[in-house]
Amino acid sequence: MALIEIKNFKKSFGKKCIHDDVTFYVKKGECLGLVGGSGAGKSVILRSLIGLEKPDSGTIEIDGVDITQLSENKLILIRKKVAYAFQGGALFDSQSVFDNLAYPLREHTLLSEAEIKNKIVAQLAEFGLADAIEMFPSELSGGMQKRVGLARAMMLEPEILLYDEPTAGLDPYNTKKIQELILRLKSKGVTSILVTHDMPTAIAVCDKFAFLKDKKISEQGTISQLTENKNSLIHQFIEGQMI
Amino acid sequence: MPNKKLLSNLPSQPIHEWINDQLYFIGGIGFLARDCYKEIKKRPFYGHLLVDQIYLIGVKSLPLILITAASTGMVMSLQYGLGLEKFGGKPYVPRLVASTILREMGPVFTSLMIAARVGAGIASEIGSMVVTQQIDAIRALGTSPIKKIVIPRILACIIVLPLLVAITNLVGNLGGLIIGHYELSLDPQFYFRRVLETSNIKDYMTGIFKAYFFAAFIAFPACYFGLNVKNGTKEVGIATTKAVVTASLLILVGNFFLSKLFWVVEKWL
Repeated sequence: MALIEIKNFKKSFGKKCIHDDVTFYVKKGECLGLVGGSGAGKSVILRSLIGLEKPDSGTIEIDGVDITQLSENKLILIRKKVAYAFQGGALFDSQSVFDNLAYPLREHTLLSEAEIKNKIVAQLAEFGLADAIEMFPSELSGGMQKRVGLARAMMLEPEILLYDEPTAGLDPYNTKKIQELILRLKSKGVTSILVTHDMPTAIAVCDKFAFLKDKKISEQGTISQLTENKNSLIHQFIEGQMI
Repeated sequence: MPNKKLLSNLPSQPIHEWINDQLYFIGGIGFLARDCYKEIKKRPFYGHLLVDQIYLIGVKSLPLILITAASTGMVMSLQYGLGLEKFGGKPYVPRLVASTILREMGPVFTSLMIAARVGAGIASEIGSMVVTQQIDAIRALGTSPIKKIVIPRILACIIVLPLLVAITNLVGNLGGLIIGHYELSLDPQFYFRRVLETSNIKDYMTGIFKAYFFAAFIAFPACYFGLNVKNGTKEVGIATTKAVVTASLLILVGNFFLSKLFWVVEKWL
């Protein structure tokens, strides 16, 4: 059964049409790689999946609930189930790493400060950031910021995780670290959508791919299905023959 | 002679676009006020964020307000004193300084200084948070940026500005008294007594009530322009400028209408 299902999704900004009839689904526990050229509107789809953007028409169902019809208040319940790992981490720069990670717990749980601290220490250890607990975002490297952002997104143990370019601008070491984290979360049963241009990472972690071109999903399937055909868009994309 | 080439390079905005922008602004402020009204009724109430903002907006603005108030009172006392001296009108200086500060200069100058310091700060802070996706993160983490960011700032302005105006009234009159004594040779006790005798509670309350309106004139546009930053850091600067200019204009133009309104209300009372 599909946990995420987008049907006939249309979105324009002013007169510029970004998406025209986008349709795809992701099953529980799957990781979908959403790929396409720059400006194809991949992040717009991710943002819409968490209600940060409203589609002009079409439906977005999360676990059978059409979130396009939900008010901002009701979206809060969805946002506890669906986490978003922002491209730059989107950490609160006036707060320490500890406070950034404590934010969702303080807002949505009744845990005591001691319990919150224990959870954060364990989470940071799992993400290889144990020493960063007292640091501020400005003191962290780009890779560390992304990992902290990912750790924060995972604090409420969401069922779905949306990754927006998690490895963009990272060195191979940090890219590998992020890959490992995504695989570890996947092994825990987290359903995810990965928006990326980093095809080696996408191939390493994704079960299937959807290729966004000309405002639609032009191709979808597993990487072996899509690369079998040398004329497929995703094959050309990997080979650098098109954007 | 204006340089025609230079003038032709200046960006010009057609009048209909300008009107469109103003209508968007008015509508946007209306929606923001509606959202604040909706959110303020919901739990939880972030008291600690309000206290933080009261400290940042109020306590941190005190040095600026003290200097502004003292210099305003001093210069008014000096100018009135020197001007009225020829006509033997020096004894009227305390009354003139007090009523001008209490009714007009206190609230207006304090609000203009707060618009410059706090309005700019709010717009740039929120604008930067938009650009770095922190506002999106607040929403994505299941919370409301209106509740977490906007309401504490607006409430803090509304709580703090009347208090700052009260301080301005005190320090401004004290500045007037010092200059009255040292430059105009007025007895400090006489000056102090004249201020108390000739000023009344209506003068005082008019200035304080104006401050509530001015606080809204500062905080709402600052939050609105900050939240509406769209295209990167360049727009943060533009939003900051717009916030300060809009607040200043609203304070100056609004002051006239509020003065008129309060005179009418006083007549009724």
